[in-house]
Amino acid sequence: MSMKKDYASPDEYGLADLLCCAAARDVRDNEVVFAGTGLPMVAIMLAQKTHAPNLKLIFEAGSIGALPLELPTSVGDARCEVGASVASGLHDTFSIAQRGEVDLGYLGGAEVDEYGNVNCTVIGDYLDPDLRLTGSGGSPDINSFAKRTVFIMLHERRFTTNVSYITSPGWRLKKWPGGEWVHRRELYGSAFRGGPSAVISTAGVFRFDEETGRMYLDTCHPGHSPNEINDLCQFELDISRVNGETVPPTREDLHFIHDVLDPEQLFIPKVKKG
Amino acid sequence: MNGGSHSEFLVGAGCVAIWESCWIGHELYGKYGANLSRKVKNKEIIVEDYSHMEPEFRFAAAAAGAPFSVTQTALGTDIHNPEYDMLGRAGLRDGQRIGKQKYQFMDDPFFGAGQQVLCPAAKVDIAVLAVQQVGEEGTVRVAGQYYADPEVARAADITIVMAEEIVPEEYLRREADRNTVPSFEVDYILECPFGAHPSGMFGRYDVDGAFLKDFYTNTRTQEGFDAFAKEWIHGHDHMSYLEKLGWPRMLTLRANTALNYSTSVKRGE
Repeated sequence: MSMKKDYASPDEYGLADLLCCAAARDVRDNEVVFAGTGLPMVAIMLAQKTHAPNLKLIFEAGSIGALPLELPTSVGDARCEVGASVASGLHDTFSIAQRGEVDLGYLGGAEVDEYGNVNCTVIGDYLDPDLRLTGSGGSPDINSFAKRTVFIMLHERRFTTNVSYITSPGWRLKKWPGGEWVHRRELYGSAFRGGPSAVISTAGVFRFDEETGRMYLDTCHPGHSPNEINDLCQFELDISRVNGETVPPTREDLHFIHDVLDPEQLFIPKVKKG
Repeated sequence: MNGGSHSEFLVGAGCVAIWESCWIGHELYGKYGANLSRKVKNKEIIVEDYSHMEPEFRFAAAAAGAPFSVTQTALGTDIHNPEYDMLGRAGLRDGQRIGKQKYQFMDDPFFGAGQQVLCPAAKVDIAVLAVQQVGEEGTVRVAGQYYADPEVARAADITIVMAEEIVPEEYLRREADRNTVPSFEVDYILECPFGAHPSGMFGRYDVDGAFLKDFYTNTRTQEGFDAFAKEWIHGHDHMSYLEKLGWPRMLTLRANTALNYSTSVKRGE
């Protein structure tokens, strides 16, 4: 028997709350999850507090199976070690990923293309860039090996036909040295286990057809229509499979986000009711 | 290897000619490395991009005396775009300390597992480690996550350890299974309390977010960096740096000994 969920009304939550809850819902219980800094951490810890209490959380710098009491501000934060099964180093965490033990990765990015290729290295020509960004970090490593990867990012001007630089691998990729486009499966051999499963932007939730590798619109955030979201993408977005509106946060979700996980509003601002 | 605020100090000061790495920024406290970003735009620095796993395994290869690492990461990305071999473009791939190629592909010859990426061992001249404890003879004990410390210390020809405290070697040898780096892999040690500031140190002190936010905001221009360096670097030794920082700030950052991080630091706005 399922209890009726106590959904929050639109004036009770903000966009960051909606993104966080949408991301948390992609976690299944008992999964091994690899977390990047920021909203991904809040989303995973929210899942840990709600429907996925047995998830195993890995932080890149070496914390494995962690149960943080407080939100870390980076993967190297001392808060990452609390409750961990093992605290070791990068060689362990990336070996675990390549070994195929990671179910789900949670990452951010600056640009994404239709095939889920994500850029966080430069804006503009790599050899003469308009803006140098952080660079890859562990994004390609987590995303190469996890069965599913969820990206959380801003929407406007970020959904491009060609990203400036493919930092993190999507479903269709360049086969070097020639650079011809091939399906991810052809490149990764026995290490192929999946790929980007969702992009959660400030406009909607997007998923991928694993055969064509193409992105499609899954749900629109409240206030957005499929056509309007298509207009926000440089490429022609597949809007033939839209599955309604993104489910809003519950009051329980909001309690965990603001009273337990991020009371300092490090990543998720509180909505001021007025 | 991941850069961070520590790399931004060196880059801003013009001490870095080649930055071979994967990431630079201040996490929550600054979106990217503004000093590196500026120098890339002005073509004042060579950046060679790898994924994070690749340098880690390249250090592990060097630490094991092997010529190259093998991984399957980042296949199909622009990290492996041959046009973007920046050390190659600069004519610096001499096969001495810098490998003759950025990477090479090879099909798994043993199990048919598909394409593998071979990357040259990261041959390190000098490594600098910031740790909690080092013994008088060089044994290192890292508490918490140890990142790449064991591989880097072994890969380097010269390893310098700056520790929060130098402790009797005999104390560390009572529980050898808790130690991270053997004594003879360490060449120089120095005691440098709060030495990782404005980064954090597990069990000792937290990240100084306010300091990093100011650094990120104020050093987006070279003039801004130079003003920062004048205020915080030039003319200071470590003690006068700490004096400038002041006890109240350091006490706020000090870690709770049960939790290993500070419970009094204000992390948000």
